[in-house]
Amino acid sequence: MATLTIPKTQSVYTHEELVDEKIIKWYFAAALTFLTTSMLAGLLVSLQLIRHNPFAGIELFSPGRWRMVHTNAVAYGFLANGFLGCLHWAIPRLTLQPVLDRRLSWFIFAAWQAVVGATAAGILLGEAQGLEWGETPVWVDPVAQLGLMLVALNFGTPIARMKGPMYVTLWYFMAAFIWTPLTYAMGNFIPEYFVSGTSAGAVGGLFIHDLVGLFVTPLGWGLMYYFVPILIKKPIWSHGLSLVGFWGLAFFYPLQGIHHFLYTPIPMFLQYGAVVSTIAVELVVTTVIINFFGSIWGNWSIVRTNLPVRYFYTGMVFYFLTCLQCSFQVTLTFQKIIHFSDWVVGHAHMVMFGVFSMWIMGMMIYLFPRLLKREWASQSLLEWHFWLSTVGLAVMAGDLILLGLFQGWSWAALEPWDASTEFSVPFWAIRAIAGLAMFGGLIALITNIFKTLKAASANA
Amino acid sequence: MFESKSGIFYIAGIGFFVLAFVSNALVPWLMYNDIPEKTVAELINPNLRYQFEDLARRYPEAFEAAYGKPPGGDAEHDVWWNEKCGDALRVGHKIYVGEGCWHCHSQFIRPVSNEEQRWGPVSRSAEYQNELQRPVLFGTRRVGPDLCREGGRRSNDWHAVHFFKPDSLSQESPMPEYPWFFDGSADKPNAKGLAIMTYVQWLGSWQESYPYYEAYVQSALPKPESVEADAEAAEGEEDAAEEGMAEDAEPAVETPAGDAAPADDMPASDTPAAEAAPAAETPAAEGAAPAEATPTEAPK
Amino acid sequence: MNRSGAWTITIVFGVIILIPSLLGFAMKFGELITLTKNVSDSGGFAITPVVNYLLASLGFFCLLMWAALNGMFRDLEQPKYNMLENERELDRNV
Repeated sequence: MATLTIPKTQSVYTHEELVDEKIIKWYFAAALTFLTTSMLAGLLVSLQLIRHNPFAGIELFSPGRWRMVHTNAVAYGFLANGFLGCLHWAIPRLTLQPVLDRRLSWFIFAAWQAVVGATAAGILLGEAQGLEWGETPVWVDPVAQLGLMLVALNFGTPIARMKGPMYVTLWYFMAAFIWTPLTYAMGNFIPEYFVSGTSAGAVGGLFIHDLVGLFVTPLGWGLMYYFVPILIKKPIWSHGLSLVGFWGLAFFYPLQGIHHFLYTPIPMFLQYGAVVSTIAVELVVTTVIINFFGSIWGNWSIVRTNLPVRYFYTGMVFYFLTCLQCSFQVTLTFQKIIHFSDWVVGHAHMVMFGVFSMWIMGMMIYLFPRLLKREWASQSLLEWHFWLSTVGLAVMAGDLILLGLFQGWSWAALEPWDASTEFSVPFWAIRAIAGLAMFGGLIALITNIFKTLKAASANA
Repeated sequence: MFESKSGIFYIAGIGFFVLAFVSNALVPWLMYNDIPEKTVAELINPNLRYQFEDLARRYPEAFEAAYGKPPGGDAEHDVWWNEKCGDALRVGHKIYVGEGCWHCHSQFIRPVSNEEQRWGPVSRSAEYQNELQRPVLFGTRRVGPDLCREGGRRSNDWHAVHFFKPDSLSQESPMPEYPWFFDGSADKPNAKGLAIMTYVQWLGSWQESYPYYEAYVQSALPKPESVEADAEAAEGEEDAAEEGMAEDAEPAVETPAGDAAPADDMPASDTPAAEAAPAAETPAAEGAAPAEATPTEAPK
Repeated sequence: MNRSGAWTITIVFGVIILIPSLLGFAMKFGELITLTKNVSDSGGFAITPVVNYLLASLGFFCLLMWAALNGMFRDLEQPKYNMLENERELDRNV
């Protein structure tokens, strides 16, 4: 097992043989389409909260249903598609092996879009499943499950064929390909068909948590460990430390599911366990952050000049903030006040948009010029996208987190319920405006892509 | 082992996942295994039946269109009502999930943050052990109030109007309108409307303290029905006197009538803000007076 | 910034963070010990999760030691250089 001299691997394939560039473009197009849908859905719900819903009373525009479209389109439409696109680039290049079968890739692509489309349609027709982040109608679940297993097969093969010690990115990917189908199966089938009540709550909590922790997080960090060294042209500070991060995540992260349901009838000793391991994972996160900041130390000007790197590090700052926030909010003292409030909503936006969406955007901004063989048409539009997204998200998260505290205190003080919705309105209005800013950023990006495409075709 | 693919595959991938599943999911699963899971038929109770039959009285045409007419014989009669009530619960649950109600209304009372006082008794495991909690509807956000003690707090026609146009009853409510539960106006609920109202009235109907009002104390007046009821009431009053809550003066006089007209019902439960405030301002001695009088009166 | 300046900052932050955390930990740990000793019924209940985690971590730690003794961590840093090297190779023609 232990070899002292590791032979340098030489690729027998060229880049063109390894990477199917066309499918990456399609994945990115799909991801941006679903992100647009999701943001429009979020906008509709935020307008409902400030009582300015333009579609009030229309069944197909019911804010309750669009709220579920909002979260599902982000998780399965945007993040999953964005990640799959990036994986089609990263995995073959890292392993120097092509994916199992390109036809299978295209089949997965089509099937996954059908799954997400059917989910959205099912939810809009009122067929949702009562599981948070898993509202996919029950008749979509088996297909989605199959799709995830095929993804694991398609990408698992090059990893399995690869020789020599693996880079940390591949550790994360490999684990994610095992975890994601397992998590999906656990969350979507067990509480629906096997257990009910409180124990189903425990499984549901584990599902929500694992979906973020064992699907989104490992893919996200894995891609960071790949793209950051390439862009800053320096290896990661310590490969050993990165493995500590990996094992820490693998061990502590899945143990925390129940922290989503503190003070429920779930046994208290399990709740304590979840709290403890959540605080422990904060230490793990710190090692990862140290590793990345150690890599770029002394070279900070690259954040100004290299846009993708700026996206990545902004996401990392948000990641650190989120995890710090998490280690506080998970304590029972904080839970008393902030549970059920907008604090949680602020937290969720910071993770999903501030971290993972920013990373995917950064990777897209790096990859689009390479895929289209053409520089970005407009640098200023890219800057607009970055700043609108970052500032919009910071305002939204800060606003909602603050509002959550006010709501929690108001409820604990037994103020009449209406008071809490009344004083929330100005905060919700700010949230809607921040959301509009983020949406404006997305429009800037999409416009830029179209401009670049046009320039590319004119050039050809 | 740690550096190899099989290590990542078996230890990190499967091992840790299973460890987490065993400790975080299987343990509660086994712990609550002995609580039997109730079917929908077992969930129907007299409180719910009352509300369901009340729907039939208030909206006879809509009810007949949705469920038909009850048969003649007494025994069949009872079976028929229970069956239809179960159907309504099932459909109502599907609507509750499908419309995403559970994203803005939680269904569990925590033992902290004065929730017991606002919503009622803290949630227990057994309450969730039934078919309508697949998957469980704890909820994660409260834009609107918690609903697991909602049954009986408000009348069916209050709910009808509220579903049709929430802000006509709760001002500034951010709740969306649901006109597709109705055939054109608030007094004509369709099958969906009847089902969702049945579901909402079911929530908490299994509780002893049904219906539960915020900071509600049972009436000081002895109940006419039975001596046992009197004794129970006296016990309840003693507890209340110890707590010495002042703001209960108003609901304490009113008996908790589930079928009160919306006009009566509304100020008591919908906007406790307006009502509770003046009561709370009155000197404590005045507010506590009726409660203190109780122990001496009850034994008579 | 010079080296000694960086050290001063590190130490100051270390002290600021460590003292309250250690105090908090010591207090909570003391509470746990009193709870375990005094209350005969819930004592076992209180240490169950702690023991759970210690046992699980112990198994993991043993595996780690075994792997380290087998020399598995001897060349931990090589993959990060290989990765960049591969990238250069693949992009040579671009």
